[in-house]
Amino acid sequence: MSEMWINMGPQHPMTHGLWNLRVKIDGEVIVDVDPELGYLHRGIEKISEDRHYNEVVTLMDRTCYVAGLAWEHLYIIASEKALHIEPPERAEYLRVMCEEFQRLGSHIMWFSAFVVDIGLLTPLLYGMRDRDLVLDLFQSYTGARMTYEYMRVGGVRNDLPPGFTDRARTVLDWLMARFDEYDKLTLGSDIFHKRCDNLGILKANDCIAHGVTGPMLRSAGVKRDLRKDRPYAAYDRVEFDVAGADSADVTGRYLVRMEEMRQSVRILRQVLDWLDRNPGPVMARELPRWLGAPYAPVGREGYLLKRNYPKGVGFSSIEEPHGEAQAYIVNEGGEHPYRVKLKSPVFSNISAARQYLVGYRVADIPPIMGSVDVCIGESDR
Amino acid sequence: MGPEELRAALAPALGPSLVGVEPFEGFAARVRFRREGATELFRAVHGLGNTHLSMVAGIDWVDHREVLYIVWSDAAKQYTLLSADLPADDPHIETASGVWPSANWHERETWELVDITFDHHPDLRHLLTPDGYEFRPLLRSFKIHEPEELEVKVRHV
Repeated sequence: MSEMWINMGPQHPMTHGLWNLRVKIDGEVIVDVDPELGYLHRGIEKISEDRHYNEVVTLMDRTCYVAGLAWEHLYIIASEKALHIEPPERAEYLRVMCEEFQRLGSHIMWFSAFVVDIGLLTPLLYGMRDRDLVLDLFQSYTGARMTYEYMRVGGVRNDLPPGFTDRARTVLDWLMARFDEYDKLTLGSDIFHKRCDNLGILKANDCIAHGVTGPMLRSAGVKRDLRKDRPYAAYDRVEFDVAGADSADVTGRYLVRMEEMRQSVRILRQVLDWLDRNPGPVMARELPRWLGAPYAPVGREGYLLKRNYPKGVGFSSIEEPHGEAQAYIVNEGGEHPYRVKLKSPVFSNISAARQYLVGYRVADIPPIMGSVDVCIGESDR
Repeated sequence: MGPEELRAALAPALGPSLVGVEPFEGFAARVRFRREGATELFRAVHGLGNTHLSMVAGIDWVDHREVLYIVWSDAAKQYTLLSADLPADDPHIETASGVWPSANWHERETWELVDITFDHHPDLRHLLTPDGYEFRPLLRSFKIHEPEELEVKVRHV
């Protein structure tokens, strides 16, 4: 049969976002693929050059709308390094708490979308129900369910409301029991194994060569996790194991993400205990007034810092729910960052699409791309 | 691997193309090089165990442009920053995609947003902006607060 190109996207049930996967097929077999991005490019890096440091946090929420707090964390670490500001320890723990709850929210969202790709509709409803509990927690301390604007240069906006840690523990207990249910619904289903085993294989060498990170890399037997390899915030003070699998296929990625959620719960329990025991400030004491931190005391030098602030470069690299995210921020001494470069793990993971799609069938595309966990907001920026 | 060891390992292969190796916060070192020795440098750095290229970025310093490569070594668990200065009137450098295939898309993005051309790139097309888009948005000369100047010029292809 002759070969032909077909477009899967920009509006297609497989895409989970606004992008286009051009697929060259020979009958049912995929011969070549060419992902097209840019449908959601909003120029976040450019807009950031025209905003105060704290105003950029608003944009970071929009970078990935299912992992907004993780992107806030990424940006805030880099800008604090660029501005030579140290956050208090309690703020670091609160940020770890945010990031891990966000990982739970993002992975449950991924689970809900992924099971629909392989024809299981029931777990979708369970997943969305459980993700709402995480969003309720976010709402109780940030005031929002999606775009939080919680972190600030020098700390976080506010401390936790009374009774939060107990509520959070109840949610964690509930979720831990639900993960076993998820596994029964998926791993206990023949449909799941028929559609996921030995599919979309991307071996460790190919992952590394093509810059693929996160659960995809860990499912190929490489236990690289920046929370362990290059600890940031309070991750060097909590105990957890890096999830891993060896099959390098769609099932492997599923297993890695499920194990990561269990490890997130383990981290969160330690962090909540620490937060209960250690009250304290959540904002750095001395901040330049121009940072506009609403709840922070004004620095001793006050406004003078605006003109005499030292230049610097801030680099941060975090284990975002999708993989290795990076920010490189250049501070040239003004109120705005001179350059904000963001690197999204999804961008690299999609760029390797040819490696894990060619040779499979058209019907395999939804489970394979589902297992990549595509978030176009962060890959297009 | 610290800056001194890195310099000793890279100097023989690069010669005058190696401008300097200096300590840099968050990285094992910052390696500054001239674009003439780009391919040799990429091969040498890759050979030292930096098998993962995390990102390629460009910065417009108005009088010149800077291209950055961030690479990761699994053995050392460290990032290394590679950077080269390019003249603003002729910003081009050899592609790194032959050494790290992951550079492909990062270089496409850097080309379309910061206007740095990557020679011998296998597929230098628009990625985030439409085909034929003439602006280079991440240049400092591209202002976002003058809407009357933002008439979008798209060449239909």
